[in-house]
Amino acid sequence: MSIVEDLGAQIRATSEELPVALILQALEKLGLAAERLRWVRQESSNPMGVPELSAATEHAESAGHALRVAQEQLSSYLAAIGLAPDTGRQPAGDRRQPKHDAPRPDAAPETPVESEPRETPSVRRWWSVRVAELTGHAEGPPGEPDEQVTDAGELLRRVAEGVRSGDRDRLHRELDRAHADVGLGMAAVTPPLLRDLATDLLGHPPRAQDLDRLRSDLDPKVRDLLPGLPPAALEMLLTRICRMPPPKQPDKPEERPHPADAAVTSGVLTGLLLDRLGRDLPERQESDG
Amino acid sequence: MASVAELKAAIDIALQQIGDGQAAVQAASEKLAEAQQTLAGALEGSGHETVEAAQASLTQASQELEECLAATLTAVEQAELYVSSL
Repeated sequence: MSIVEDLGAQIRATSEELPVALILQALEKLGLAAERLRWVRQESSNPMGVPELSAATEHAESAGHALRVAQEQLSSYLAAIGLAPDTGRQPAGDRRQPKHDAPRPDAAPETPVESEPRETPSVRRWWSVRVAELTGHAEGPPGEPDEQVTDAGELLRRVAEGVRSGDRDRLHRELDRAHADVGLGMAAVTPPLLRDLATDLLGHPPRAQDLDRLRSDLDPKVRDLLPGLPPAALEMLLTRICRMPPPKQPDKPEERPHPADAAVTSGVLTGLLLDRLGRDLPERQESDG
Repeated sequence: MASVAELKAAIDIALQQIGDGQAAVQAASEKLAEAQQTLAGALEGSGHETVEAAQASLTQASQELEECLAATLTAVEQAELYVSSL
């Protein structure tokens, strides 16, 4: 191995070992905690740390985004010094990743030839794989990320348009193009909007008695658009809209909802409610994110 | 009708989840610091703009993680304060 190859391998390994998976794990835990505290405090004026937890989540999301950007910059540097972005080498050390971040079983071999660098960083792959599973496109290759979609508000607008069109392929494309941190951000921007839209649909703020009606109204269409969605994910979201205690989570970790499920479902549900009400996404949501 | 005990139990679970999140953030910070050190050594002497940009991104990530941790600490304080007032 030449000196430049050695340098490249070291940079590549360090880049691949950046703690993206740990940040996703933190986001998942903080999200669960926020959800529980929101339920506890729903009738209380005491914030109980929920705003601070939201701020913590935003910082973690920003950290994840910064890591992804750093990975791309390091990849560009490697290309600039004449090294392929990824020669398929396994980086040294611990490569523990969450199950959902694993490569597809049917993906290309882990040792691509030098002229065919792997262009899909692992941070994006898990999101893309899950989106494909949810939308019933498990066999299709992931698309290229759209760098214009830099915030969850913009992605939500695109998802809502995809939902309105009723075109599952289009919905898949819009979600697939998003980077993971942008996609996950939909779960953060949609809760107040979902509650407001459901209030307008029902004619009153959603409560426990409205759960069945919302489920029967929305579940079939959600199933059409997200055939791979576990029922528990929609149930979780609907109970949250109705300000009910969250349903009990399965004991087995492998049966628990995927981190992307809540984000994707909340985006689709927002689109469905907007469509039912004949509205567009409020301007505020389009600029938030 | 929920009891105070149930309320406390629910907040306890949330606090535990925040603790898990904090542990992951701390682990991420440590791993990131190691990566920054490794890259600083490997890329010493480089004036390439993408290297500088990457190092700036890593510094930003590190700061965001610090602020994330600080926010969770405040959240825990708030939640514990509420529990103590029940």
